[in-house]
Amino acid sequence: MSTVTTYRPTTLRALRDALADGAGGRLVIAGTGTAADWGGAPEYDGVLDTTGMSGLISYNPTDMTVAVQAGMPLATLQETLAEHGQWVALDPARAAAGATVGGLIATGDAGPVRHTFGTLRDCVIGVTVVLADATVARSGGHVIKNVAGYDLAKLFHGSLGTLGVLAEVILRVHPRAAATATLAVRCDAATAFDLGARLIHGSLEPVAVEWCDGTLLARFDGTPGGVEDRLRRARELAGSDATDTADAAADAWAVVGALVRGADGDTVVRIGTAPDRLPALAALVDRAAAEHAVDAAMTSSPFAGAHTVRLRGGAAAAHAAVVTALRTAHPATTVCRWTDGLRAELPAWGEPPPAVAVLRAVKHAFDPDDRLGSGRFAPWF
Amino acid sequence: MSWAAELTEVLGRENVITDPARLRTYECDGLTGYRVVPAMVVLPRSAAEVAAAVGVCARHGVPFVARGAGTGLSGGALPVADGIVISLQRLRRIVEVDPVNLRAVVEPGVTNLDISKAAAPYGLYYAPDPSSQQVCTIGGNVAENSGGAHCLKYGFTVNHVLAAEVVLADGTVTTLGGDSPQLPGYDLLGAFIGSEGTLGIVTQVTVRLLAKPAAVRTMVADFATVAGAGDAVTGIVAAGIVPAAIEMLDNLAIQAVAASTQSVYTLDTVAALVVELDGPPDDVAEQFEQVQEICRAHGCTKVLVAEDAEQRALIWTGRKAAFAAVGRISPDYFVQDGVVPRGRLAEVLGRIAAMADEAGVRVANVFHAGDGNLHPLVLYSEAAGEHDRAERLSTEIAELCVELGGSLSGEHGIGADKACSMPRMFGEDDLATMLRLRSAFDPGGLCNPGKVFPTPRLCGERPGRYRPHPLEEAGVIERL
Amino acid sequence: MVLTNGSFDAHRPPRRELLDDCVHCGFCLPSCPTYAVGGEEMDSPRGRIYLMDLAERGEIPLDRTMAGHIDSCLGCLACVTACPSGVQYDLLLEATRPQLERHVPRTRRDRLVRRAVFAVFPYPARMRVAALFGVLYRRLGLRALTHRLGIVDRLPAELRAAEGLLPPVKVRSLFRRLPARVAAVGERRLRVALLEGCAQRVLFGDVNAATARVLAAEGCEVVVPEGQRCCGALNLHAGLEDDAAARARRLIDTFEKAEADVVVANVAGCGSSMKEYDRLLADDPAYAERAARFAASVRDVTELLAELEPRAPRHPIQAKVAYHDACHLANAQRIRRQPRDLLRAVPGIELTDIAEAELCCGSAGIYNLVQPVAAEELGRRKAANIEAAAPDVIATANAGCLLQVRRFLGRDIPLVHPIEILDASIRGVPLERARR
Repeated sequence: MSTVTTYRPTTLRALRDALADGAGGRLVIAGTGTAADWGGAPEYDGVLDTTGMSGLISYNPTDMTVAVQAGMPLATLQETLAEHGQWVALDPARAAAGATVGGLIATGDAGPVRHTFGTLRDCVIGVTVVLADATVARSGGHVIKNVAGYDLAKLFHGSLGTLGVLAEVILRVHPRAAATATLAVRCDAATAFDLGARLIHGSLEPVAVEWCDGTLLARFDGTPGGVEDRLRRARELAGSDATDTADAAADAWAVVGALVRGADGDTVVRIGTAPDRLPALAALVDRAAAEHAVDAAMTSSPFAGAHTVRLRGGAAAAHAAVVTALRTAHPATTVCRWTDGLRAELPAWGEPPPAVAVLRAVKHAFDPDDRLGSGRFAPWF
Repeated sequence: MSWAAELTEVLGRENVITDPARLRTYECDGLTGYRVVPAMVVLPRSAAEVAAAVGVCARHGVPFVARGAGTGLSGGALPVADGIVISLQRLRRIVEVDPVNLRAVVEPGVTNLDISKAAAPYGLYYAPDPSSQQVCTIGGNVAENSGGAHCLKYGFTVNHVLAAEVVLADGTVTTLGGDSPQLPGYDLLGAFIGSEGTLGIVTQVTVRLLAKPAAVRTMVADFATVAGAGDAVTGIVAAGIVPAAIEMLDNLAIQAVAASTQSVYTLDTVAALVVELDGPPDDVAEQFEQVQEICRAHGCTKVLVAEDAEQRALIWTGRKAAFAAVGRISPDYFVQDGVVPRGRLAEVLGRIAAMADEAGVRVANVFHAGDGNLHPLVLYSEAAGEHDRAERLSTEIAELCVELGGSLSGEHGIGADKACSMPRMFGEDDLATMLRLRSAFDPGGLCNPGKVFPTPRLCGERPGRYRPHPLEEAGVIERL
Repeated sequence: MVLTNGSFDAHRPPRRELLDDCVHCGFCLPSCPTYAVGGEEMDSPRGRIYLMDLAERGEIPLDRTMAGHIDSCLGCLACVTACPSGVQYDLLLEATRPQLERHVPRTRRDRLVRRAVFAVFPYPARMRVAALFGVLYRRLGLRALTHRLGIVDRLPAELRAAEGLLPPVKVRSLFRRLPARVAAVGERRLRVALLEGCAQRVLFGDVNAATARVLAAEGCEVVVPEGQRCCGALNLHAGLEDDAAARARRLIDTFEKAEADVVVANVAGCGSSMKEYDRLLADDPAYAERAARFAASVRDVTELLAELEPRAPRHPIQAKVAYHDACHLANAQRIRRQPRDLLRAVPGIELTDIAEAELCCGSAGIYNLVQPVAAEELGRRKAANIEAAAPDVIATANAGCLLQVRRFLGRDIPLVHPIEILDASIRGVPLERARR
């Protein structure tokens, strides 16, 4: 086995040179490594480390846009924005572990406020990417509203480092709300879905609705008076089991983050479904976990159709059986963390999406020699 | 068999148009400056028929252009001379409204507004609302990534579409996106939306529906100067308020509106801002007060608060009909669609006014001030021989927007109209990379050719020279 | 510079400046009934204007293709209401139809149908004979028989349409005549002359009687000028300009003698064409001025009543009423609010909205007889939308709409002219009895 070369460019030029230099070798793109495990295990001759590209390029609070190098950790960016009462409307669990802006685009990751703000695909307004053949390309721009040309940022969303390297990213930012509060209700999945739906249809506009480990969390952002009013009305809808103390809320949200991140030895999968599948999915998780003697926990943004299931304890084969059961019912499943030995038990991906032929064609058009993240999407391509 | 005979056989004689006079009614869309008569128009009645028609085209190498209501303002549905137009006006079914999952499944020929009408009984609506929402179709919205007055807060079509059934250029049918926005793999749906019909034809769309906000408050604030109105916009945003919409109309636009409908706008004000807030009642009430204070602090001369739904509708009817209403005060006009960073609004408006003076034509401004999306309307008279001057000015305004760090188009698209200006905004490698995506979807280049990207045939041997982006010149970004 | 009209002749072609008003924005498309049915650009207002424009430039001939697309227009003018640029499609259509009548020979079948229609409808006496046949056809069980034997299904579409439109009238009401004068109740506010209509007086004599009673109750002296003939609306809307003008002159002659303050119509199509007499006779030096005066004095009955402070007390009528806008009232005369206000003023009446309210029902003068296929689809669509609103009563202010909607209703919902509801309310009798 040859030695692995590591490139750690700090400028766009150096990044391009690194790709031009690679002598055809296969590269894996790495940021802070919070999602190195996602999907298939790529084969590579070199590592392209993006953490050196972590600078702020431009920030104009009046325009509510910010341009950064893609290796900037989201948490760092949020600190800068907070000084001006702004933020990127994204709260992924991995941010606490140092996840970079580029990595979050490449994984299409998000947190509970995806309920309102979606993922980074909904916040990125421009990108500069470098392709496997060192072509530097931009799309989008510095304005929120822009339909000139194709939107390459979308294409790179979820690309897991297989299309090119995200070098620079321009984001739209949002004002931070003056007040925020969370209502917590202990309940099962079906009740959670029902109550969440009543909050939404009642136009209470929760910014996040998360059902985590048997607790429904509904967060309200807005003006102090508005938040207080909505919290009161939400409490009325929820009944007696509701709590809304700030400390309890902070703890509850911390549980969500820890569950999504997982720990060594865990298996973590992310699943996309239609909203009303939540109760059935929760039942399936319980059933499969019990059957295979695995400890399972789950957190969901039901109305955004995003769920994360964490498996803990038990053998790799047991994890494999549970993941297979989940994947069979819900093909849109990504394994984000693999317990030891699990890869040997399980292909990286389940049933491919209907447009897999187009995915392959896009991959071929951008990286015909399969240099970047080779094997990440195996067995699909 | 010739392709024409094959199409006729596949679709039936009553669903193809070959008569020369009839074909001519399809020669342009909402942008009448560009006209090409297609060889045939077909009107399929199902996704299967669309796929069959595209299949015939693929086998014979015949270019095809999809067309919805033909309201586009960039010539996106301009036919190709030896190609066919595929009209989606017979795919108008609302397949399903699913209030539990907050979504609707519709065929591409359904109008934007009809989705909201179908969702209304459940207290839901479809958020993107282009000014032509009563007529433009969701298929066209997907192709153009349409926005609208309320996209400042709610985003664009791309933020509200969950899945699309698509006929690819080889005639196969596939689905992009799915039940959830959290799907593994490249976001092909996101890339497809806004590709202006160059990557395939959408035959079914699943859109997200939102619960109607509990409260909506709308006001019109008059200003004695355009700069004052621009500063008020900045002030509102700086206060951390995200209005549902902030629109600006200048005096000329207000006059046009008054000539067209029952107008609530002050006829002699220099500029008016329409500000709408929506959301939970207490939040809205608090911020609505704040907005009025900010407007007053920036020299607002009069505030009209909509008393009821009827008055609110009048404010919006006037705003949304503004483009067409300009037809009442000028025999001819161009609609422009550039974007500048919000902070440069006052500057760009000043420069447009100076350019208009110099060119000796009038420019009316009606636009989405909240996101810096300008719609200067260049008024001229064809009969008085002002066409060329006006067209030049209109193009210069779009390119000025790029120069100020903005974009050639905020929502109308590049289409046939601005393809030759693309090199002002993007370098060769940028465009070549975008074309890689195109080749992955449509290697034969049959799907709406001649749009978005400059070609020598369209733009002369050398498309417009690339000029460094101002941010590049300022050293903010670098191009290698 | 040579002035040409392209493919049009020099007699009142569509005017260039009117054609240029269209900016091709497409806002008219969803309002157009034929576009709603077929989705073809040529059968939309924007497409028709485009064809007129091309013909005016001489780029396409006046031929059957073009005529087909102009013929298919219902003339409902919903597009005029929808247009933000103020395109006067009504004028364009009125200018184009006579040109096509002059230059494009119709097919034999089309000619026959139109000739038959124009030989019957504008003549109350002939209309009465036709209606009498209709009553007998029902009474003698022939209708049931022909339907059972499937004969109706084998009829040409035009005849099938006529058969289907036959209303269930009573012989007695066919021969009902209005008195020549009805005195105002209480102090007289106005003297009004009432147009009886042709099909109207034969098929809807009850509506005329109710109109006279309500007007009288509201302080109007009602005169019904003797010898009044057809107003020419059918001819005008079909592009038979000369016939329409001749009828207009005669009607003006008749009504001037009545020396009324106001001329009242209760059929939307008649009222709208009478309001256009000034335009129709503008080139006639003997009539231009009189036509203008006449046109200015015309009011729809609901329009007039809305102008008068109500005097007669209204008795309650408990009913959910779906008000269907007749195109020639809502679009051509822009009367939408008045009939609704009048109905709302009746205690107990609940007005309900109809989906796709702006879409024509397909009646449109003689349209449902000469374009039966499109008319049938529109009729079904309208009926379905009305039924979805589940009203107790349907009210509409046009004879054609009443016939058309009734033909396609699946359920037996009473169809009335709004004035009949008012009449029942003022008289304090149940709606069903008032109509007898």
